[in-house]
Amino acid sequence: MKDDSVKHPQATAEFLKDRAQAKWHDSAIWWVRQKRDAQAKQLPEWEELRRLAREIKAHTLSQLDDYLAQFEANAQKNGVTVHWAADADEHNRIVHGILAAKQVKKLVKSKSMLTEECGLNPYLEQHGIEVVDTDLGERIVQLRHEAPSHIVMPAIHLKKEQISELFHKELGTEAGNNDPTYLTHAARANLREHFLTADAGLTGVNFAIAETGGVVVCTNEGNADLGTSLPPIHIASMGLEKIIPKLEHLGVFTRLLARSAIGSPVTTYTSHFHQARPGGEMHIVIVDNGRSDILGNEDFYQSLRCIRCGACMNTCPVYRRSSGFSYSYIIPGPIGSTLGPSRDMKKHGSMAFACSTCGSCSNVCPVKINLHEQLVLHRKKAFEQNLLPAGKKMGLLAMRFLTQHPALFDLGGKVMRKVVPIIPESLTRHSAWSRAGRDVPPMPAQSFKELYQQRSQNKKDKEGQQ
Amino acid sequence: MSARDNILARIRQNRPAASALPDMHAVPFIRYDNQFEAFATLIRNLGGDAVQLQDGQSVSDVVAARWPDAGRTIDLTVAQHEEVDDPHAWHDVDLAIVPGQLAVAENATVWVSHPDNRFRSIYFLTQKLVLVVPRDAMVDTMRDAYARIRLAEHGFGAFISGSSRTADIEQSLVMGAHGAMAALVIFV
Repeated sequence: MKDDSVKHPQATAEFLKDRAQAKWHDSAIWWVRQKRDAQAKQLPEWEELRRLAREIKAHTLSQLDDYLAQFEANAQKNGVTVHWAADADEHNRIVHGILAAKQVKKLVKSKSMLTEECGLNPYLEQHGIEVVDTDLGERIVQLRHEAPSHIVMPAIHLKKEQISELFHKELGTEAGNNDPTYLTHAARANLREHFLTADAGLTGVNFAIAETGGVVVCTNEGNADLGTSLPPIHIASMGLEKIIPKLEHLGVFTRLLARSAIGSPVTTYTSHFHQARPGGEMHIVIVDNGRSDILGNEDFYQSLRCIRCGACMNTCPVYRRSSGFSYSYIIPGPIGSTLGPSRDMKKHGSMAFACSTCGSCSNVCPVKINLHEQLVLHRKKAFEQNLLPAGKKMGLLAMRFLTQHPALFDLGGKVMRKVVPIIPESLTRHSAWSRAGRDVPPMPAQSFKELYQQRSQNKKDKEGQQ
Repeated sequence: MSARDNILARIRQNRPAASALPDMHAVPFIRYDNQFEAFATLIRNLGGDAVQLQDGQSVSDVVAARWPDAGRTIDLTVAQHEEVDDPHAWHDVDLAIVPGQLAVAENATVWVSHPDNRFRSIYFLTQKLVLVVPRDAMVDTMRDAYARIRLAEHGFGAFISGSSRTADIEQSLVMGAHGAMAALVIFV
């Protein structure tokens, strides 16, 4: 489980202590962003696709109750059992109930951020059910008793040496063999045994189609497919915002998802599940857990358009330099930083400040969520609810006072330009902001305002001469 | 009230402003002059390969030339193929030859949903996956694909591109995560 008591600034300072690891994390994730760009540039219709995706999702949310009812009716027609869960506890009880009725001892799971959100694994383990996460990255973090640090690349915070050591201990691989191919194939052999001996499989849901009553799951590894085609029980857990109206709409979303997520034209498997395999049973659990409340909030409901591609975190300069564990909510990065505070401002308020407001997240989001604007609105709420640390609050109040008093603001700037250059370097070097290569910049002779006035005056003079 | 009715009532109460469904067919999407070329170039980066059957050649010729030492082989493209009564029974299949109904040029996927197959586990348990697709069954993009596909296999169907893969260890791409280690698409 994730430590949800962390505060972003302190946790990030900890992460940045290992400079080499932090630099690697930044560049590894930036590389995925660049691959995403390369894919986007190959499609002349890319921006139109984003517009369509946004509009399809906006329409769906505006009639979500109707589409959910339609989805349920069509799934039932296919012979699927549909369950509804108001919150995480109810979801966990439902899943356990399905498993207990069939005396399930081992459950294989493919990636599902929803079950992380609900804390399903510890719940089932307490009830004596063995849970095996089967996505390679998820399996790695499960064996380390960690939460995923990224929603698409769960183990991106780890180096291969750490994984090699873990596999040596847990799977008996050769000590010191750090080859990713060797390690992956060792996990493959081990997890095949689990697939073949599991009593049930659980998947997340990428898209739920109202028109057909089926769900779509996208993976590169094939773990969702093995986990549902072998055991006799398939449980699919979905947040209620996963609905799309028609099958044809996948012709928009499947074009955006993998390109945005990993810079690949598609995932290896885009699988459509409408019935259990012969002799089996299929269940779908539709989960609210706070989503219907977000839907009613004009400032934040657009976050329910999210398709969980992770592009916003890959581009985020703050996420890349702080890692997923610096965020208290289970989903990190820009999208997590609006979903977390929407859910619990007291607990996750610090996330809204983990943002430079550069807007890059909103620019890459395949469903065009106004992410950075939502974070600013959450900051306002955090301030109003008096949840800021005293120092930060004082700073903001001082800034507000200054910006409301232009003469004082000008004077402050003037004083700073005179005083900063004569502060001894030994004082600025060790300030909280500073480290090697980040010295205080040289002070300009004039303020921006003065330069602007001068420029306007020069222009006027020139025009006067003509 | 049940959880269901409560949730639906709350959603109804919290509905955002009405918003129209866009016409997704009004936008021009990319077209490929040579669809096979686009497909074949892409799939080579996705742990797979694609070939067009030449005159006088059969699917088994191509497969035998590529994998002369293949182990247990199951060919679902022939009517009289082996059947099992448990999906686990495919666990030791080395090579599966499977009919694909449609190929997509933009992402090198093949749609698989076969009315005469009982257990879909074969597609994912096999070590080597051969997909046999009619050469005229090719479209440019996923939009065209969704207009043509049918869910013919117990409500199941999948777009499959190349072999299973992962980059979960330090972003190093490794072929053969859980599903097939190698994939070949043969256009006939």
